[in-house]
Amino acid sequence: MPRFARSIVDSATALLVGLVCGGVLMRAFGYQPMAAYRALVVGAFGSVPDLLETLAFATPLALTALTFSVGVRAGLFNIGAEGQVYVGALGAAFVGGSVLLPPGAHLVAVTCAAMACGAAWALLPALLRIWRGVHEVISTIMANWIAFFLTTYVAVTFLGEPGRAERTRPVWPTARFPVLTEDASLTAVAFVALGLCLLVYTYLWGTRAGYELRLVGSNPDAARYAGVRTRRVVVASFLLGGMSAGLAGGSQVFGRPPAWSLYATLGNVATLGFDGIGVALVGRNHPLGGLLSAILFGALQHGGRYMEYQAGVVSELVRAITGLVVVALAVPELWRLIWRRR
Amino acid sequence: MTRTLRVEMRAIHKVYADGTIALRGVDFRIGQQEIVGLLGENGAGKSTLMKILSGFVRPTRGEILVDGVPRRFGSPADALRVGIGMVHQTFTLVPVYSALENILLGQEATGPLRPPQWRGMRRRIEQLMEETGLTVPLDAPVETLPVGVQQRVEILKVLSRGTSILILDEPTSALTPREVTDLFAFLRGLKARGSAIVFITHKLREVLEIADRVVVLRAGQVTGERSSADATPEMLAEMMVGRAVVPRISRLFRTPGRPVLEVRSLGVLSDRGTLAVRDLSFEVREGEVFGIAGVEGNGQSELVQALTGLRPAASGEVLLHGAPVLFLSPLELYRRGMSHIPEDRTRFGLALEFDVAENSLLGRQAEPAFVGPLGRLRWDRVLRYAAELVDRFQIHTPGLRVPVRSLSGGNQQRLVVGRELSKRPTLVVAVHPTRGLDVASTAYIRELLVRMRDEGGAVLLVSADLDEVLELSDRIAVMYEGRFVGVGTTERWSREAIGMMMGGIVPHGVQDAAVRPVHR
Repeated sequence: MPRFARSIVDSATALLVGLVCGGVLMRAFGYQPMAAYRALVVGAFGSVPDLLETLAFATPLALTALTFSVGVRAGLFNIGAEGQVYVGALGAAFVGGSVLLPPGAHLVAVTCAAMACGAAWALLPALLRIWRGVHEVISTIMANWIAFFLTTYVAVTFLGEPGRAERTRPVWPTARFPVLTEDASLTAVAFVALGLCLLVYTYLWGTRAGYELRLVGSNPDAARYAGVRTRRVVVASFLLGGMSAGLAGGSQVFGRPPAWSLYATLGNVATLGFDGIGVALVGRNHPLGGLLSAILFGALQHGGRYMEYQAGVVSELVRAITGLVVVALAVPELWRLIWRRR
Repeated sequence: MTRTLRVEMRAIHKVYADGTIALRGVDFRIGQQEIVGLLGENGAGKSTLMKILSGFVRPTRGEILVDGVPRRFGSPADALRVGIGMVHQTFTLVPVYSALENILLGQEATGPLRPPQWRGMRRRIEQLMEETGLTVPLDAPVETLPVGVQQRVEILKVLSRGTSILILDEPTSALTPREVTDLFAFLRGLKARGSAIVFITHKLREVLEIADRVVVLRAGQVTGERSSADATPEMLAEMMVGRAVVPRISRLFRTPGRPVLEVRSLGVLSDRGTLAVRDLSFEVREGEVFGIAGVEGNGQSELVQALTGLRPAASGEVLLHGAPVLFLSPLELYRRGMSHIPEDRTRFGLALEFDVAENSLLGRQAEPAFVGPLGRLRWDRVLRYAAELVDRFQIHTPGLRVPVRSLSGGNQQRLVVGRELSKRPTLVVAVHPTRGLDVASTAYIRELLVRMRDEGGAVLLVSADLDEVLELSDRIAVMYEGRFVGVGTTERWSREAIGMMMGGIVPHGVQDAAVRPVHR
């Protein structure tokens, strides 16, 4: 596949540019770039537990990237993943912590609850868009804030753990995805995430509905000409994205030790949705590209910590460097999107 | 000529980057205080010639003298500097800005740190409005103004830059008759105060009314020049459309069968909310090509969009095989036998980023043959069908998985036409089916349409290319300002008569046909 190969080459070049820029920055502050990068790479991929930890970071990002990608494929700029993540996590915390179900069934129930809550939260901007023509950028940003305060309120008021105000009641053991090894926080929820990415990929390129969704995103006039019901496509895209974001939020509650709960600050799910936009851009808004790019982002997050511990780079600079890499990686796709919008 | 010469264009040639030859050695002059009418069909080169004069387009060859001095314009700003300004057919206004802001856009007397000097500039514009008699509400956002007033804003925008040679491209196309009268009065006043004006149009009556002299272009060449005092509509029409006899594509002799499409008193609104199609009635029968000729922008697009389910109709009725079909979706219309070769293949007919196989599925994606259980697309069948299309319609493509963006225009159009004909339609609505194509593709596509008719299909052909309509059609209608000026068999009219109808003038002896709806 030459198109696929070209994307990889483009991304690799961008990655290199980002790393070189980061290196220059480190040099300017008197650090050793090579040592720091070595710490980064070894930290992220050097051992099996580290690799699994990287994947644990990557799991929710692949899902929120999917949210953004499915939107872009339908011609929508859905930046509401953040709020959908919160609401999904809230649903998971409720069904996981306050409902008793037999093992197995409970896992299915929390997973479905997270996805359903995320989807429900995505429905509002979808309906506003098709009924009133409200642009999704505006409505999703507003929905994100509403979700933030609503989730915080509900979590603290109704789901709080007695005696520990900072988080919700942890989910019951029956509602926890099994941890893969003792040394890393990766759980079996990663397989669910992977499955969803593959499913969405098959949907987009293998079904009539997916074809119509991509057609609306690629050329809305041609879609009308082909008899596609655009409104339905908009709703479908939002619901799919909401499901995915909801699962991303839920995965941090029922699939990530040691918390097994939602923090009252939303600290264990915050920014996942926004980070997903960058992940999606780097992954060329492709569900499978998003997987690869999520692993890269996971590596930057997990391995970045080692730059601090081992190479002594101050954490602010580590963040600046990972930021540089992300920007460099996102530029090609962002460029393409901007060109298309003209 | 007694007038002093303001502009002289000599032997202007223009070949566009894609190889289209727009102008083949045009000489054009504008005198002091003269209104020159520039007349021609679509694609004759009128707009290109004037875009060259106003600096938007660079000529491939040729000279321009303004007030005797040779000039080369690198940009519209260069042309404005010597007093030449153009008002385009599609307005270039910022909808949310006020009229004043639009007029002053780009000439705010300001620096990076100096705020615009609104008050001084406002006084200047108010003075200009007084002088010219063109008044607009300066503080109203442009989007709230009627089209006629928006046009005044455009004109003021050009005049405020000190323009003494004003070019107007089809300025009356969106105006009401009242607004046209006002515009003409203003133009006469402007001329009296010393300006020269070029008036691009295809409307014969208007050009005779307003212009001192008429220059006619056809296919990139000047085919005639008359002072309007000596010109008659017949004369101009002939210069506009030429005399050549078009050889008709060989076709089977057949009497048209039952009506396939019946349109009754159809009214359709344009995007601007004005009636683009007015009370139109006609029918297309089995085994005939019904051609609609006319200069673009006379309601053809709106008509076609209403017939094909892309635009709601305002009034009237449309029957397909005897059943009412207005307001049905394009997919449902296809199920009932209609296929549509759209006017703009890259806008409606194709998704350029999709590959050949995906595009061959456009509009057929719901067919049971291509959809398996769970709504899965059967790519094996799609690919086999796409390969068939490529083979049967001689589409040159490196593969089925190549984005259609990389195909040439001719091959893109073959894909669209092939796809639409492969739907086994009983009615094809074909709009500008060969626009911009090479000779081979043009001939091939025309041949396909006539073959479809020979096999008993109905074809509704809409084209701004008069030759195409004459070559293919069994019956012709000429559309002008949303109505048919005349309907009849192709043999019935001379080219000249059709040219006059395209310019909005009904030749003698046609009125009866225009008024009487055609019945079985």
